[in-house]
Amino acid sequence: MFGILDQQFSWLNFTILALAAVALLLVVLLFVMYAIYFERKVIGWMQLRKGPNRTGPWGLFQTVADVLKLLIKEDVVPKKVDRFLFLIAPIISFTPSFMVIAAIPFTENLYFTDINVGLLYYGAISSLSITGILLGGWASNNKYSIMGGMRSVAQMISYEVPLIMSFLGIVLMTGSLNLRDIVHAQIDSGIWFIFPQFIGFVVFLIAGNAELNRTPFDLPEAENELVAGYFVEYSGFRFAFFMLTEYVYTFALSSLMVTLFLGGWDAPFGLTFIPPIVWFALKFLLLVFYLFWARATFPRVKIQQLMEFAWKGLIPVALFNVMLTAVLKTLGIF
Amino acid sequence: MTGQYLAFFIFALMAITGGVFMINLSRVIHMVLSIGLSFFGVAGLFIMLQAEFLAFVQVLIYAGAITIMMAMGTMMTQGGDEGEKPKRRLHNVLSFLSAVLVGAFLLYGIYTTSWPTEPTDLGANNIKEIGVTLFSNFVIPFELASILLLVALVGAIVLAKRDGEKD
Amino acid sequence: MDYIYSNSYTVITIFLLLGIILPLATVWGVGLILRPKNPAPEKLTTYESGLEPTGDAMVQFNVRYYIFALLFVVFDVETVFLYPWAVAFDELGLFSLIEMSIFIFMLVVGLVYAWKKKVLRWE
Repeated sequence: MFGILDQQFSWLNFTILALAAVALLLVVLLFVMYAIYFERKVIGWMQLRKGPNRTGPWGLFQTVADVLKLLIKEDVVPKKVDRFLFLIAPIISFTPSFMVIAAIPFTENLYFTDINVGLLYYGAISSLSITGILLGGWASNNKYSIMGGMRSVAQMISYEVPLIMSFLGIVLMTGSLNLRDIVHAQIDSGIWFIFPQFIGFVVFLIAGNAELNRTPFDLPEAENELVAGYFVEYSGFRFAFFMLTEYVYTFALSSLMVTLFLGGWDAPFGLTFIPPIVWFALKFLLLVFYLFWARATFPRVKIQQLMEFAWKGLIPVALFNVMLTAVLKTLGIF
Repeated sequence: MTGQYLAFFIFALMAITGGVFMINLSRVIHMVLSIGLSFFGVAGLFIMLQAEFLAFVQVLIYAGAITIMMAMGTMMTQGGDEGEKPKRRLHNVLSFLSAVLVGAFLLYGIYTTSWPTEPTDLGANNIKEIGVTLFSNFVIPFELASILLLVALVGAIVLAKRDGEKD
Repeated sequence: MDYIYSNSYTVITIFLLLGIILPLATVWGVGLILRPKNPAPEKLTTYESGLEPTGDAMVQFNVRYYIFALLFVVFDVETVFLYPWAVAFDELGLFSLIEMSIFIFMLVVGLVYAWKKKVLRWE
């Protein structure tokens, strides 16, 4: 970032990097707050309601109030829980969600890491959150939690496979797992990967939506069937961290999708007078809006449809996409 | 490079304590978590050796997938695993002896092998090297791996189906 | 070039530590001061829609969860093989495409077998 990554290690650089990471954390938290507000507003408008409009002008402080409320809630740890696992499960679930953001390059100069295995890093670290969910459900020692936890894990592992397969087409086309190289390949060729890798994009969009446990794939929480899934017994800020994880992953996954399929910070139609970070943010917000839109539009699927769709639908399609890309590449079309 | 030593120490400690907890804890799910910690420590060591690909494969397959598989496996069994372990003196002594023997054997192996002292540059992009080596020099083992995976899959399905029919 | 490697992983360590510190600081730090602590025996019981909890929550789960976990491991391992192949595909060319087709074919056979044995169904 700004040339610091190329320099030899020094405590000054370390401090700058640490401060930059803290700044990013604050940006992510701010994003989460207003993403929740925006989501409620958007869904409200789509359902001809007003959404939150009481706390502050246009309800802008609604989420702030919610967070404060969660902070001053009593923290109940039921008697029958496995205390140690119950306490660390939210941390195991949250930490990877923030760690994956380190791999995302935001602009030409604004990136936090430059590792050769960026994509694999994302896939590997994000899979650790599943363990947190499983442990949270199990440690609660509650029928709803365990059931919800097991369902979540079954869903997330099923959609993890098509998710990490869907970007193989891009890896084939660029010959690199480095996310900066992938963006540069798109800028150099002038074609965003959403066009040549359209099948991969669709698979990624669906599998990513399912990984986020968002509607139409929100069975784990299914509030009218499992009351809240794996975090029934959690209260106060521990509960908040499970929710936070979901929204931080929304941030991470949308950013990854922009990087992989929408050309990252690349300006379309030569509109380079708009700064790259703004382009990144615009594409990013478009995808975030899509997720909220999907939530307001689609009904929840049934669990048997969900599982069969992953194994009988998405995985064969993702494998087909990989082979198709390889064949087209051998023929010299890509 | 004190930072490297510190990092090595922490990762090695993670790997070892994970293993020790795995053996000594009594609830299966705690064991699964501690083996996950151990896998994570090993991944850290891989990163220090500039084997990034291996490190994240370790995280993806072992710390992610295998840990979840083991946890799910324990949930299939009725919770009959919390009982007191029977105390077997002779058993313990024999295990200790064999552990010492294996350790001595490994140390002997490490000390007698001549390691290349020239530090070889692994290059900026060693995934490509792994790919080229794997798909040109080790084609047969690679294809055998697919058969192994197929056998594991079919075997598990056969066992599980038989289990399911009994119910 | 070497500096990028070590600096990148330093940054990842910073992210890891921040990701741990944030929950610790809010749940055990600020939260501890702000939130009330008023435990009552009823409050500490397990939630079961307002009824007295009956039986044990640790029931024996259906074997299908385990099969899906196993399928997941198998396909994860397969994907891990696909990554270096995809990265090195430019240098490997046609022969590796044939190798990979055989590899994927084997796994598709496994998937079709699971399909036909109705393991992929969720009843």
